[in-house]
Amino acid sequence: MSAVQVARATADRLTAADAAGLNATLHWSRALLETEAARIDSMPVPGPLAAVPIAVKDNIVTLDMPTTCASRMLEGYVSPYEASVVRRLREAGALVAAKTNLDEFAMGSSTEHSAFGRVRHPLDADRVPGGSSGGSAALVAAGVVPAALGSETGGSVRQPASFCGIVGVKPSYGRVSRYGLVAFGSSLDCVSVFGRTVDDASRVLAVISGHDPLDNTSLDHPPIAPPAPRPGLGGLRIGLPREYYPADLDAGVAAALARTQAVARALGAELVEVSLPHTCYAVPTYYVVAPAEAAANLARYDGVRYGQRRVGPEGDIEALYQATRGHGFGPEVKRRILIGTYVLSAGYYDAYYARAQRVRALVADDFRRAFEGGVDLLLTPTTPTPAFRAGEKTGDPVSMYLADVFVCAVSLAGLPAVSIPAGRSDGLPVGAQLIAPLLSDERLLAAAGALERALSADAEVR
Amino acid sequence: MSIGRDEVLHVARLAELAVDEADLDRLVEQLNRIVDYVAQLESAPADAGAERLLPGPPAARLREDVPGPVPLARPPAAFAPEFAEGFFLVPRHGAMEGP
Repeated sequence: MSAVQVARATADRLTAADAAGLNATLHWSRALLETEAARIDSMPVPGPLAAVPIAVKDNIVTLDMPTTCASRMLEGYVSPYEASVVRRLREAGALVAAKTNLDEFAMGSSTEHSAFGRVRHPLDADRVPGGSSGGSAALVAAGVVPAALGSETGGSVRQPASFCGIVGVKPSYGRVSRYGLVAFGSSLDCVSVFGRTVDDASRVLAVISGHDPLDNTSLDHPPIAPPAPRPGLGGLRIGLPREYYPADLDAGVAAALARTQAVARALGAELVEVSLPHTCYAVPTYYVVAPAEAAANLARYDGVRYGQRRVGPEGDIEALYQATRGHGFGPEVKRRILIGTYVLSAGYYDAYYARAQRVRALVADDFRRAFEGGVDLLLTPTTPTPAFRAGEKTGDPVSMYLADVFVCAVSLAGLPAVSIPAGRSDGLPVGAQLIAPLLSDERLLAAAGALERALSADAEVR
Repeated sequence: MSIGRDEVLHVARLAELAVDEADLDRLVEQLNRIVDYVAQLESAPADAGAERLLPGPPAARLREDVPGPVPLARPPAAFAPEFAEGFFLVPRHGAMEGP
């Protein structure tokens, strides 16, 4: 099949998804798809992703489509340069199909905080697809594209992957270039990948990973090689952190994880209980560190450097900044900027930000001790519940933040992790999370692939 | 610790963020909820001498401050309303005009 034929079929699926009200896309066009397809068909040597349609979260800059971060602040903005990950996708022959909806500036866990409307869960329109990369997750889950790029700061790919019943991979911090990913929390941000299968996601990761001199946090490390299929999990010790299996865990999630553990044992893995004692501090640490970095990173949206300018009532430059930012940012972004400014301000810096950075080291040290203690991987639930209903948590920010309770410690530590579908509870997908030591992305993907092949992702677990 | 209306308005000014009076009470309530939640860090065993975590390669922390080429797909002149002698030309802002 030619790339032009793939482009036409992809455009038909995108049209159907938009018509169904998924609200997962922010920009795409049939004409752009066909132009891209013609370029791919003329490539002298087909690349490793030749004519594979891939959607891109709209906080990753592209030359041929706007990049809005789902914010009124950047409505209509077109970047003068392209993200390294997008350039690598195009060079590999991929068809960049659409820019996808997200929580504004990637701040959220439900994709309800988009200035352009919430994304619907593909299986139940009354529920959320997770977030912040909910548009990318929904497009993959709905079968519109086989893979998509998202971004993680505190679990924004693994959590929606779990809610939508697909695979979501966060690589080790530094293995995929951040050049062209709009900055939110720079010490946490990580371009990450959704796929229908671990194999699909691994093929995309192989293309976009590897050293990039344009990102000074990029590791001088080779690309993540797609793992050779392993027949089982023999020889692996998998830790079960007791803090991730609380007594009040949702019954469907608990049942899905019990089944995943049984499958892992049947595949030859040895399962042992371990402890990550500072886990309870991960979410509060994240909600100091990430807003502090966000407050600094989003200072550039002032109507002068970036952003839709509004002139304030006093007509001076201060009023211009305040009116531009007050009007351009939505409620969740404003909350985070205010919290970030507060924890960095004189008198509170040591009590909040400096302390959070030290607690972050404790959280990371828990993982290091577990792995040095002889555990190869960790197995946990990805989320405490299946997808929740739209509007259920928007009135209480802390309740929303706790949807990330099992994913954000990994982000604080910079580790690689994957969510794979582990079954369904009352028809809703449940994800299982595997976590690996830093730079052990290949081991992680190989084990996840073996587990995925043995699990029946669509089976009811209770 | 609780944050009052005046402190929220002070932080908003530091953040260059206009806050509508109609939203203020709700914002104060939500910010207090968040600050109360993150206050549990006080009980973490992390004294002032403890190590902080800096992710990424050591080379990322201090690199040579040498300007390099900016790989723009289009030159700055292509996306500026007016551009001359290496500078963007913009209208004078009202508040900055001289007598």
